[in-house]
Amino acid sequence: MLSNILRPSKGLKAVLAASAAIFCTPAAALNIFVCQPEWQALISAHAPDANIFSATTARQDPHYVQARPSLIAKMRQADLAMCSGAELEIGWLPMLQSRSGNLSVQNDAETMIFASDHVAMLDTHQHVDRSMGDIHAHGNPHVQFAINDIPELSKVVTQRLQALDPGNAHQYQARGIRFRANWRQHVNEWRELSKPLKGKKVVGQHATYRYLFKWLDIEQVADLEPKPGLSPTTAHLQSLTRLDKASYDAIVFSSHQDHQPAEWLHRQTGKPVIKLPLTVSGNEQLTDLVDQTLAGLLEVLVVNSDQKSIEQ
Amino acid sequence: MRIKLLPVLMASLTSMSVAADVLSNPQIGVVLDGRFEEGDGFSLGHTELSMSANIDDKFHGVLTSVIETHDDDTEFLLEEAFIETIALPNGFNVRAGRFLSNFGYMNNQHMHTDNFTTRPGIYRDYLGTHYYDDGLRASIVLPTDLYIRLSAEAFSGDKMSALEHAEDQNSVGVYTAAMKMGGDISESSSWQFGLSYLHNKNGTADHFEESDHSHDGHDHSHDARKTGKHLYGTDFVWKWAPDGNYKYRNLTLAAEYMLLDGVVDNKFKDEDHAPDKLSGYYLSGVYRFSPSWSAGIRYGEVETYDGHAHGDHVHFTDQKEKEATAMVAWNSSHFGTIRAQFSRTEDQDKEKDNVFMLQYVMSFGAHGAHAF
Repeated sequence: MLSNILRPSKGLKAVLAASAAIFCTPAAALNIFVCQPEWQALISAHAPDANIFSATTARQDPHYVQARPSLIAKMRQADLAMCSGAELEIGWLPMLQSRSGNLSVQNDAETMIFASDHVAMLDTHQHVDRSMGDIHAHGNPHVQFAINDIPELSKVVTQRLQALDPGNAHQYQARGIRFRANWRQHVNEWRELSKPLKGKKVVGQHATYRYLFKWLDIEQVADLEPKPGLSPTTAHLQSLTRLDKASYDAIVFSSHQDHQPAEWLHRQTGKPVIKLPLTVSGNEQLTDLVDQTLAGLLEVLVVNSDQKSIEQ
Repeated sequence: MRIKLLPVLMASLTSMSVAADVLSNPQIGVVLDGRFEEGDGFSLGHTELSMSANIDDKFHGVLTSVIETHDDDTEFLLEEAFIETIALPNGFNVRAGRFLSNFGYMNNQHMHTDNFTTRPGIYRDYLGTHYYDDGLRASIVLPTDLYIRLSAEAFSGDKMSALEHAEDQNSVGVYTAAMKMGGDISESSSWQFGLSYLHNKNGTADHFEESDHSHDGHDHSHDARKTGKHLYGTDFVWKWAPDGNYKYRNLTLAAEYMLLDGVVDNKFKDEDHAPDKLSGYYLSGVYRFSPSWSAGIRYGEVETYDGHAHGDHVHFTDQKEKEATAMVAWNSSHFGTIRAQFSRTEDQDKEKDNVFMLQYVMSFGAHGAHAF
């Protein structure tokens, strides 16, 4: 757009049009900023024509993001933004908000959506002390796996999009209904599929799958991190080798994390390792994320262990 | 303001934090900084106490005080006390009060976020380590995918004055203009480039003392040691992390160059070695090789001068310092750092000085997001 302004051959009309495009909300396509790819997947299901920019990818730890210039530039242009909230982005999002000078993305704006405001939060704390590690008083912020709350998030996204772009309100409404129907159908399938996972126990790395494990009735009996957010230490991993081997079935970590601690524990204990996705990649939908995660868990916890018992 | 103020401040803080949860949730944070320096022994560095909150739906307020000790003196300094707009449209922002100037790359960043124990020579000699002052700033972020931020500031400029008589000073002495631009090269790396200019109406030195005591010893006034009418700066920063995941490994390269012009009054022009332009730069690289460990090196050079009066003459000497620094830091968490630093300086007479330092920088309470 800037190059259009600078080109002298364009007439005054074109200049005015271009600056109008810069300084007014473009009617054609909404600019949407999301902190994590899961919210890009959610919103694109409701507004497929919007320009949605995700600040992070599936390979990046969302706690550790640089408030880099490109993110401020995108934040500056956003008509709507969506993040996980509950302090997950506290190390960088406030800097983007204040530097952007954009009213639409400030905390109290209707167009700034925090997913954790609309989720039944787990692990909220009355008292938080940093000696407890990187924990959040508002609860566990990894709400992309809060399966029961995704329909509520779909409603919130629908309503905020309608308020922002009333001209297309009916389309947002229709896509929201379709999204939730599709989600319900998947939930029924997942419920059936995941029955054998009930009661399984794992050693995790960070409480990334807290919401999913609750839904599946899987228990995370220990964490490779000595304290939430602190990287695994040798001493802590040593202590995990002393866990009763019968007390858990597998070791779980996320694709964006260092694989060495999980593999080290595997070599010491022989317990299988499961690598699960943190979020969607590429053009995947939210249902793909749950599909893949369940498939990863089932493959090791059910299929392989069944094979083992047959062999025995 | 001396130590008497501290109990009052502490008392008011305690009462505030009790009311905090109910009222408007001011963010209260403390940074503790302690050092051991070869030769100098133990000391406290830049102890920060900061509070911030939204005032209403239109303004945000920040108060940062710094407590410094020098021998038996405890100094309580107000480093930031400003209000800023949060509701202006189109990327505009206005700030008023006392704040860190936008000049250069490091100047507007809090010292506790630095990767090295000491700031580079150009900051120590041209900006008094970090230049903050009372004034007004307006800035705008342009609505382009390439990040472009323009800002202009006006400051009282008292601490940057080189004039003999205070009554000759302009009451608004310092003006700055700065441009920052930046973007991503790939998913893994990002850059930022900046141009800055500082116009100092009171910056040209018009007098020199008979002997030069003022520039010796420990400088705890935070006043820039060398000023001039114009200070130009340019800076470049490049950061890299595999896949853009900064948790495990990342690299930061930074470079800044500054040029000081109009250093001394024209009446000294014919004196030997009368300085006209002075310049300096630094280059630094910091590599984080695990979540807990990082190491860095920095090299910098800075030109200064010494001037003192001899009857009706002023005797000038060119000075130049070269400094090479290396550091290793261990992070206990995101909030605690212990750092060892070794630096070697060489002056214009090839005299060398080696300094070894140990430092901790730790924070509790609210901890603001860091800038790029």
